[in-house]
Amino acid sequence: MAAVVAAMAFCSLPLAAQDSGEDDVARPVDAMFSLDVGQARVKDTYLTPITYSGTHLRLEYSAMQATGFSPEKWVRHLEVGAEYDNVENLAHNNTMHSVMAGGRWSLMRRWRFDRGLQLMAGGMVTARGGAIYNGSNSNNICSVKVHAGVGVAGAAVLPVHMGRLPVTLSWQVNIPVVGAFYSPDYDESYYEIYVGNHSGLVHPAWWGNRFEANSMLGADLHLGNTILRVGYRLHQESSHINNLDTRLSSHSLVLGLGGEFLNVGRRGTPSRTVSAMY
Amino acid sequence: MRYISVIVAVLVLAILDVSCSDESKDHNAAQENFDALWRIIDEHYCFFDHKDVNWDEVRQRYRSKIAPDMTSRELFDLCGDMLKELCDGHTNLIAAHDVSRYWIWEKYPKNYDDRLVDEHYLNFDYKRSSGIKYQILQDNIGYMYYGSFSNGIGKGNLDIIFAYLATADGLIIDVRSNGGGLLTNVHTLVERFVEERTLVGYISHKTGPGHNDFSEPYPYYIEPSASHIHYLKPVVVLCNRGSFSATNNFVSIMKSLPGVTVVGDVTGGGCGLPFTSEMPNGWNVRFSASPIYDRDMNLTEFGVEPDIRVDQTDADTQRHHDTLLDTAITLLTTH
Repeated sequence: MAAVVAAMAFCSLPLAAQDSGEDDVARPVDAMFSLDVGQARVKDTYLTPITYSGTHLRLEYSAMQATGFSPEKWVRHLEVGAEYDNVENLAHNNTMHSVMAGGRWSLMRRWRFDRGLQLMAGGMVTARGGAIYNGSNSNNICSVKVHAGVGVAGAAVLPVHMGRLPVTLSWQVNIPVVGAFYSPDYDESYYEIYVGNHSGLVHPAWWGNRFEANSMLGADLHLGNTILRVGYRLHQESSHINNLDTRLSSHSLVLGLGGEFLNVGRRGTPSRTVSAMY
Repeated sequence: MRYISVIVAVLVLAILDVSCSDESKDHNAAQENFDALWRIIDEHYCFFDHKDVNWDEVRQRYRSKIAPDMTSRELFDLCGDMLKELCDGHTNLIAAHDVSRYWIWEKYPKNYDDRLVDEHYLNFDYKRSSGIKYQILQDNIGYMYYGSFSNGIGKGNLDIIFAYLATADGLIIDVRSNGGGLLTNVHTLVERFVEERTLVGYISHKTGPGHNDFSEPYPYYIEPSASHIHYLKPVVVLCNRGSFSATNNFVSIMKSLPGVTVVGDVTGGGCGLPFTSEMPNGWNVRFSASPIYDRDMNLTEFGVEPDIRVDQTDADTQRHHDTLLDTAITLLTTH
């Protein structure tokens, strides 16, 4: 437990250390390590017309912090994660493996309401990449996925109590709007790309050919200085390009462990503390 | 709590969307699987025009044979027979119990006996590296046998092989009964026989489900292997009908190079790069999806014609001679 918290504190330091805002304001980092376990559905017609389904796993590190400028009104949020899907076909005689990794960085304006409710909305930059592997295939043995873009991010945070236990309910959502993504042509082989035909591999992304949405509903239980997150995450991603359809979705239970961390190198006593979430 | 209710409602709707499936539960139904197979080939197969196949007519003919009570094996045989209409060695239906195939080489003389070569030409005394069997034969002719392009070729291993064969007056590259493998291994081998960047062919691919949806053929080249040993003496490539797929591509490229003579039978063809797809019942189907042309924009789907066509004779078989290998040796020793 101590090692986990120390690791989280270590990860949060770079975020805190780069602040150059008001000296008398402490802006703790709300850091969280989480594990998602759930169900995935994978359809990629470059590999197979069949929808596969199975297990979804995701590891994520998330750090949220009030910004150095106008900390009451602005929040930044970093999420990096890696995920693995082990999915099976309808006939249960073939398995595909999907490995993806990526990150999002959001900057959100926040508004405070009665009962501690906070609403946040802003923009984000995102990058995500990986591959889906189908070992039964020949020259279309894997489907490489790479996407980078900008989009919108939002969150709703509401502090409540379960008996005497403080709980923070949150809903976080982010949706890429425009960007670019990689896709081979309909029946283009990686061999053709290998011999030099690189034309038409990168496509502008917009909601007409690619849609992705991530949302997470969480309940953060404040157990002393440690925060235990229990939540639900939904990820949906679809694309239609070059007569190829991709549809990836997962929904999973989120279990996380985190806390609020302050920069240990900080000098002086802050006059006030502005938290991003809690 | 009103806010929470809204959030929960949105998520429930999202979950319902994830859970919905547009696919039938009856993934073993004969008609559904037949139609799925027909559609996969209809939308992805690349040689309909080249082979003058009326795929709609094929569908009608075979679909009428589907019976509601037919067994899985009967359906497999029916689907396999339908695929054979394409006369394509790269097109297979793959199930747990069988693989349907159209292997043209099974209908032609084999023209290769590895035991005969090993015993009477190599005296069971040969080197082996990177899946290549090599030796210098009695008449100071280098010989290398490469049995599968699936065996990776190390550049260092090739240097060792060509250094050993450097003193020979010529080289025989025997790719008989080599059923193919990785095209990147074709590059690794061919780049030892070119002195400059050389156009070796064109590659195209389907861009959509229409039978004529193809990309512009893309020219591809092979560069000489920098800082590695090249072989620029006369070369004979030996091939038979079993020289298929990547080997067909290798023979096609080697035939276009100066100083190279192709001897043997017509190769087995297979110039379409195969993709794989899947039927609802889990059977896999492999098919040609991306045509590869030679440097003159010819398709070699039905094989590469050798420069000198030779079949194994009965008389040579009886006296333990390899007619094709003898022809190659004579060609190189009288060069």
